[in-house]
Amino acid sequence: MALGGAQTHVVRATLLVALAALLEVTLAPLLTFGWVAPRFLILGVVVAVAGLRDLQALLLGFFGGILTDALSGGLFGVGALGGVFAAAVSLRIRVVRRKVGAGPFAAQAVAVAVVVYDLMGLFAPILAGEEGPPVATYLAGGVVPDALLNALLAYLVGGRLLKLMTVKEEKWT
Amino acid sequence: MGRSRKSSAASSLVALITLCVASLVLFTIYVKEDDSGPLHTVQLGAAEVLRPVRGLFGLATSPVSAASERVEGALDASEKRELEARALEYEEGAAEAARLRDENERLRDLLDGERPSFTYSPLARVVAPVGGQLTERVVINGGSDDGVAPEQPVVVGNNTLIGRTTDRVTPNTAEVLLVTDQNFAAGVRILPPKAPQGETDEESTTSGESTSRESTADGASGTSEREPDFGANSHGEGLLRTSWEGYLGVDYVDLNADAEQGDFVVTSGRAGGRELLFPPGLLVGIAESVSSQDINQYKNIVVTPAAKAEDLQDVRVIVDW
Repeated sequence: MALGGAQTHVVRATLLVALAALLEVTLAPLLTFGWVAPRFLILGVVVAVAGLRDLQALLLGFFGGILTDALSGGLFGVGALGGVFAAAVSLRIRVVRRKVGAGPFAAQAVAVAVVVYDLMGLFAPILAGEEGPPVATYLAGGVVPDALLNALLAYLVGGRLLKLMTVKEEKWT
Repeated sequence: MGRSRKSSAASSLVALITLCVASLVLFTIYVKEDDSGPLHTVQLGAAEVLRPVRGLFGLATSPVSAASERVEGALDASEKRELEARALEYEEGAAEAARLRDENERLRDLLDGERPSFTYSPLARVVAPVGGQLTERVVINGGSDDGVAPEQPVVVGNNTLIGRTTDRVTPNTAEVLLVTDQNFAAGVRILPPKAPQGETDEESTTSGESTSRESTADGASGTSEREPDFGANSHGEGLLRTSWEGYLGVDYVDLNADAEQGDFVVTSGRAGGRELLFPPGLLVGIAESVSSQDINQYKNIVVTPAAKAEDLQDVRVIVDW
């Protein structure tokens, strides 16, 4: 039974998010420099949900985050919240994609989502009763460079991925 | 069309809020549960499953990992330095607090030992010893501006005499000749220790003369819990001075005097009808040994000073009495 265009897109997006979650827990820890690391999950969610409907997008972000939480050893719920926010940001600013193009759109969305994700990473340990990093140092040495690095990554990779994800299927005439 | 769009936006908002709440619930459960809870168990299982994949990635990215470790090492080193600096700061604070506590006790002892009939100069600190093989002198940072004049008694603790000022008094400093200096001399009397309470009813002391309880502060020491009995008959009178052999002793004590080992040596204040240099009742030391020989006219008494010169810190000069 063949899948429809929309269903194909959802499956593709789901696979992309799953792959991003897998990379997030396996590869990203090996590419971490201090507080700066590639946020594959954020990038994957931002790109994957760009062509989905709102509810689908949010659910996909949430489950991508849950998958990351389950596979990593971090605080459960942080990844889920990060995934949901990444999807929401992607949905919110996708209107600019037509104006600025795929690369800049992905860069903007990822930068904002990474900032939110990093801030959650700052406050979650404090809420859990653990000691968090010093706020000012973390903001200057962690959040800002992390957002810039991931924005660059999204600009270079995300744009192409977005184009791949949104290839329209040719109709039989 | 518009209504449908509004409805979609509302449902998206509801979904967003619901998912955020769900995430927070998961976070709360994870934080509250122990290590054997369901969420922790899921993570442990996933870690086992992903171990080969992580191993492969680890092998592939080992050069990057090494660089990353170096960066983190640099960050850790700076944090370690910061912690070490903070620990040092705390240690300094604790040392300062201990020093202030000691100083507080010392000053309290000094104030407790004040006699109403005496006028004291402000507290002065011993700032320097005066060199010389045959001299026992120190300089204090109180001088004529504080009312200090030559030949005034200098005390520590509970009116323990440590010496007298010399002629070298400046507005801000004064030289003190210690009791152990061979040029120092003072008229003293020898008093027995006060009997412990309950053994005698003679508890009264001479008016205005305080006791010399144990005090290690400011170098005053050696009197233990005992006190001189100022109301008792004197065990002898004489001249306190240091012999050329270096022994601090009391000369000219009559052979018939009752002086014994352990008696207190205090300033007499008077010799017959003449007023001496020091006020009466200042503790000088304890008789360490008392001996007599038939060929000598006087007893041979060696005294241990009540204050050690090397422990002197804060002193006061009695400027009037």
